[in-house]
Amino acid sequence: MTLAFLNLTWPTFANGLALGGVYALMAVGIGLVFGVLRLVNFAYGQLIMAGAFALAFGSQWGFPNWASILFCFGVVLGLSVLMDLLVFRPLRTHSPAVMLVATFAVAFLLQNIALLAFGPLGKSAGALAILNAPWDIGGVFIKKIAVISFATAVGCLVILQLLLTRTPLGLHMRAAAMDFRTARLLGVRANWVISGAVIVSGLFAAVSAVMLSVQELTVVPTFGTQDTILVLAGVVLGGLNRPIPATLGGFSIGFANGILGGVLPSNQSQYLPSFLFAAVIVVLLVRPNGLFARGGGTVERV
Amino acid sequence: MTALTVEKLSIRYGAVEAVRGLSLEVKPGEIVGLIGPNGAGKSSTLHAIMGAAPVTGGDVRLDGTSLVGRRPEDVARRGIALVPEGRRIFGELTVDENLRLGLAGRRRGRNGGGLTRAFDLFPILREFRSRQAGVLSGGQQQQLAIGRALVADPDVLLLDEPSLGLAPKIVDVVFEALTQIRDSGLGVLLVEQRAQRTVALADRSHVLANGELRLTLGPEDASDTDRLVAAYLA
Amino acid sequence: MTWIRRAVELLAPALLILGTALLALEVSSYLQAYFLDTLVKVAIVVALYVFIGNSGVLSFGHVSFVAVGAWTAGVLTVPEDQKRITMPGLAHFLLTTSVGNVASLVLAAVVGGIFAFAVGLPLMRLSGLAAGIATFGVLEITNNVLTYEQRIGPGLNAFSSVPSTTGIWQATIGGLVCVVVAYAYQRTRFSRMLRATREDPAAAAAAGISIYRQRLLAFTLSGALAGFAGGLYVHLQPLQAGSLSLNLTFVTLAMLVVGGSGSLLGAVVGALALNGIFSFFSAATNTVDVLGWSFTVPSGTAELTLGMLMAIVLILRPNGLTGGRELSLPRRRSVADLEKARATT
Repeated sequence: MTLAFLNLTWPTFANGLALGGVYALMAVGIGLVFGVLRLVNFAYGQLIMAGAFALAFGSQWGFPNWASILFCFGVVLGLSVLMDLLVFRPLRTHSPAVMLVATFAVAFLLQNIALLAFGPLGKSAGALAILNAPWDIGGVFIKKIAVISFATAVGCLVILQLLLTRTPLGLHMRAAAMDFRTARLLGVRANWVISGAVIVSGLFAAVSAVMLSVQELTVVPTFGTQDTILVLAGVVLGGLNRPIPATLGGFSIGFANGILGGVLPSNQSQYLPSFLFAAVIVVLLVRPNGLFARGGGTVERV
Repeated sequence: MTALTVEKLSIRYGAVEAVRGLSLEVKPGEIVGLIGPNGAGKSSTLHAIMGAAPVTGGDVRLDGTSLVGRRPEDVARRGIALVPEGRRIFGELTVDENLRLGLAGRRRGRNGGGLTRAFDLFPILREFRSRQAGVLSGGQQQQLAIGRALVADPDVLLLDEPSLGLAPKIVDVVFEALTQIRDSGLGVLLVEQRAQRTVALADRSHVLANGELRLTLGPEDASDTDRLVAAYLA
Repeated sequence: MTWIRRAVELLAPALLILGTALLALEVSSYLQAYFLDTLVKVAIVVALYVFIGNSGVLSFGHVSFVAVGAWTAGVLTVPEDQKRITMPGLAHFLLTTSVGNVASLVLAAVVGGIFAFAVGLPLMRLSGLAAGIATFGVLEITNNVLTYEQRIGPGLNAFSSVPSTTGIWQATIGGLVCVVVAYAYQRTRFSRMLRATREDPAAAAAAGISIYRQRLLAFTLSGALAGFAGGLYVHLQPLQAGSLSLNLTFVTLAMLVVGGSGSLLGAVVGALALNGIFSFFSAATNTVDVLGWSFTVPSGTAELTLGMLMAIVLILRPNGLTGGRELSLPRRRSVADLEKARATT
């Protein structure tokens, strides 16, 4: 069975959804931290890289899958919190440009630590790779990981939405993203809100690490970097400061990436990054505040 | 018992000294007015009390405990609530959510009646509780800002120009609410531009000019226009 | 006496470059390569500075101008018979055209400038994060195209047979050219207008300054310098598209920010200091002798040190090592200066 136009097949469509879902998670992870700290965390991809290495090592050491995943979560969360304490907080009052370049530095640092420790060839992602086997859904073979990725992403986003709308911490995080100063004057604790955002963002990075490392099979020091740049573009495209536009932006670019990657012949798909970024630039020129942003949001100067 | 004491407070932004040696007291159940021309240091005083402006000298105490050097959220959580200038409500959140944000300033182990306190004082808020705060009128937003401060169940309420940009009728509503708040036992520190009304309402009104306390007026001075004008020009 | 002060503003960075060149003459030819590399990095960072330092807007796209310059100078100087072997896919016009060393550098600057102008024409209308992401996009697209497009260059392969004309003289003169151009621009009213938009965009716009036009001018000029630096680079070592991408962007931005993005001196100091350290550790991967004590470090140490150094400098001195100031002679401080000093303490 083939979808009517192009040579888009259901499995490709499913892969697009899956990649869109993971990118949406990453987008929200980046967006949450931006909301409270006004900081674009370029090192987000390196958190994912670290998580993917943790998974790979877990498999290599013979951990059961659940333990590898737990290990991955531990590493990513630990690193997120460390990054927050050592870099984000000391730089909180500096200009967005300095903060962005600082996260650039952290990304570069972590990538080179990985290079030094694990070498340029990387590691095989390990035991979870069996999830690349397909499920037979009414005669269409769709990779298990595609279904799992999409379902997990949706689940995570629903839980996040509940957290943001139904709990005091979520309310505080939303208020801090809109007007941190006033929120603090009302008694919203800055440290809690920042920690909350960093931890949720780290959790999403860990989930993304699991999903991406299954799909990409090998983990190298540059793992997640290209994805992060695309997600950043998607987030800015959607509108950074709001979870839902950010989600949509991240999803769109992931979906486009997944679909086009499957549909284009290889002599064209090598230019896929160019297509995506050209599209991003065109959209930004037309709507500098983002595709899904309402009205004129404040623009951070970088 | 004194609720809030400001003693020889000095505030400095870089080379600019915003407030010099200001002392005042707010006791439970009284309204203290703080009036003066633009740039006199009124708002800076409120921000310094909240821990959001650099205090270079003097002290701010709540029931004997110094607040200087604490973070704004910690000051708020000790029983001082601020109604900021320009209301600063969260326009994209609902009225209900705005009020629940006020609960962030509630002290540990105190219930304070939750949102009903705001609803009782401003019934309109209950009616509009699920609307987006941004669509409320200016007066309603001001009521929301005051309600939001009250749900924290504070001992002291600071207000920064609550009548700014409001129609005279709405100002009446706001000032009437302040009287009720005072009568419920709170200490109120009211920063205002509307000098005459403030002097008439407050138990004491301090006139601030160029960061210094010029004189203190009682409600009986409200009709004495000459004295008010002289105070401003001094 | 203002001319003396101005002269110092130019001489300080120029002398640093000359000093590096003199040092380079003293060391073994193996180590000299690192010095030459450093001088080329100075050129790239100064090019970055012309835009970022004057406008206060970050650009992640400048390495694409370096790359385009390198491609131009590289493709045009490889001898024709070599081209047929190493780059058989080349467009006919490029296959049959060759120019000399100096002409290739000039053309690199021209192509870099034109490309920057074309990119800046739409992009300079953006600001903030949108601008940052868009320049990132330019970098990714350029890199993507250069990596796969064999009609305009070696594609995935590294350049080979480009004449290695960037020796000590060319590297030094190249670095000096960039510094002098940056300085000359800095002295024009265009630069002053652009700096005004950096300090207070609203006031500058109200004073009739077109932020867009001034940014575009600086972007084009800095693109031309970047292209020129790319030309120097390709004449120094066999480049490939992969080495003109994210990492170089990071490293050169790091140099600028660590040195202090607000001043020409900062750009030069940052490039010299960081690339010096980077080179030292790179050399140390093949064992170096320091005061008779020889040691070897694993590869990647250089990048690691650079990343750490940069993070530390940013946290401790967010305005960079020079604090964004030019070197100036001690002078009687005016009242305005005192006020300013007081305001910042």
